[in-house]
Amino acid sequence: MSRSQRDAEAFVVTCEDCAVETRTDDPNETVAFYRRHRSATGHDVVWEGADAAALDGLDVPADADLAAVVRALDGAYEGGVPLGVVAAAMGERGATMAETFEAVHDLRMTGGLYEPRDDHLRPF
Amino acid sequence: MTRWNDGVDEVSTVSPDITEETNALPNRYFTDPEVHEMEKEKVFGEYWVYAGHANCIPEEGDFFTRTVGDRQIIVLRDHDGEVTAFYNVCAHRGSKMVDDTPMSDPGHMSRIRCPYHLWTYDLDGDLASTPKSFEEPGLNPDLEGGDVRPPDPERNGLLTVPTATIGPLVFVNFSDDPMPFEEQAGKMKEELEALPLGEYEHAQRIVSEVECNWKTFGGNYSECDHCQANHQDWIKGISLDESELEVQDYHWVLHYTHDEDVDDEMRIHEEHEAQFYYLWPNFTVNMYGTADGYGTYIIDPIDEGRFQLVADYYFRDADLTGEEREFIRTSRQLQEEDFELVERQYEGQKMGALAQAQLGPNEHTVHKLHRLAQEAYNA
Repeated sequence: MSRSQRDAEAFVVTCEDCAVETRTDDPNETVAFYRRHRSATGHDVVWEGADAAALDGLDVPADADLAAVVRALDGAYEGGVPLGVVAAAMGERGATMAETFEAVHDLRMTGGLYEPRDDHLRPF
Repeated sequence: MTRWNDGVDEVSTVSPDITEETNALPNRYFTDPEVHEMEKEKVFGEYWVYAGHANCIPEEGDFFTRTVGDRQIIVLRDHDGEVTAFYNVCAHRGSKMVDDTPMSDPGHMSRIRCPYHLWTYDLDGDLASTPKSFEEPGLNPDLEGGDVRPPDPERNGLLTVPTATIGPLVFVNFSDDPMPFEEQAGKMKEELEALPLGEYEHAQRIVSEVECNWKTFGGNYSECDHCQANHQDWIKGISLDESELEVQDYHWVLHYTHDEDVDDEMRIHEEHEAQFYYLWPNFTVNMYGTADGYGTYIIDPIDEGRFQLVADYYFRDADLTGEEREFIRTSRQLQEEDFELVERQYEGQKMGALAQAQLGPNEHTVHKLHRLAQEAYNA
């Protein structure tokens, strides 16, 4: 996929410091991008847009917390909600990628979430 | 004659003679995932690669991490004020110790401590302490206390990675038997060390992901035949006809002559030209000629079809002036223009139609890049 072909891609995240972005169909590719970018710069990334279809199962208030968001999305995904979808949903609630992952870590460490496979989440 | 994948699939190794028709690296070396895996060892595991800039870790205990292929190192300033590098791997059971810490956002520690079992190392890599449980086997009924030797500080220390420098630029080598750094750096070391690189501070890092093989971009960086058609803003004030492309054993230099009216104070060096150094395999030093500063690129592969361009900018002061910000914006524009070109080229390379490209006689710097890749693969 070249730069000229990217306009239709569904998930878009941006580093505001570097003014670079990634557009992708795969929500978890935004997670991989974040990790690589964070590793090289220490920068956070923010959401520019997310595929509405991927978030269709989300019927929670705009100020819902992470646990409520994952619970709302859980039924729509067999084998766990892709971490990128969770991040996108939290992005729509104003959270950056770093903030979301910090919340994910906290919730996992306190038993609120688990990872049935890499980069997919399910609630307890 | 261009070699197509027309059923014949005829390719050859890169000819040392640029006038031969087999003067380019066969296309599969740009697109094959197995080649990417091979390069981790044969390229990035053998040659000196850039680790980062010493000015970013000025104080004892300052550190950053750098990942090259599957390996990650800690680059730190030790008690003696020297920059040293260790694998980010605990000598106990192999845990990664410190979190990813980019050069542009360095960390500080008085000792290196593994969070798993708290093995702790001095800044010289020697094991400084372990919890008592490693010396007092109270939970093991088969051992008497006297049977246990305490860990040896040196033999249970961290694994050092050799370092070398060009001024403040720090390089590392993962090979068991590294070639002398001076051999790889050649006269680039002497030339750059004649400049006051260490007086400049890191001011900005911009990291982009580009969808092509790292060598595809390396080839683009190494020639300017594409500039007339694609970098209209940049070539203003550059006399492309007077440019010189210099090829050395493991590096090449692109000298772009500026118009005489370039302000003398706008350059780190005395020449009226921009000087772009490419050091095999994936590092460049950019002397722009129109800014009192310099830049570096790291062309880091992600996989066979993607790389990260890590662009760092250095100026007299880390706080950028308006002019310097504008300069970086222009540099960024140049990168974006090149990203379009190399991603377009890579789309073509992935189609499988071309088996082996044809380099032009003025693409001798690109030829050098391809030859060094071939040499590394065959070693």
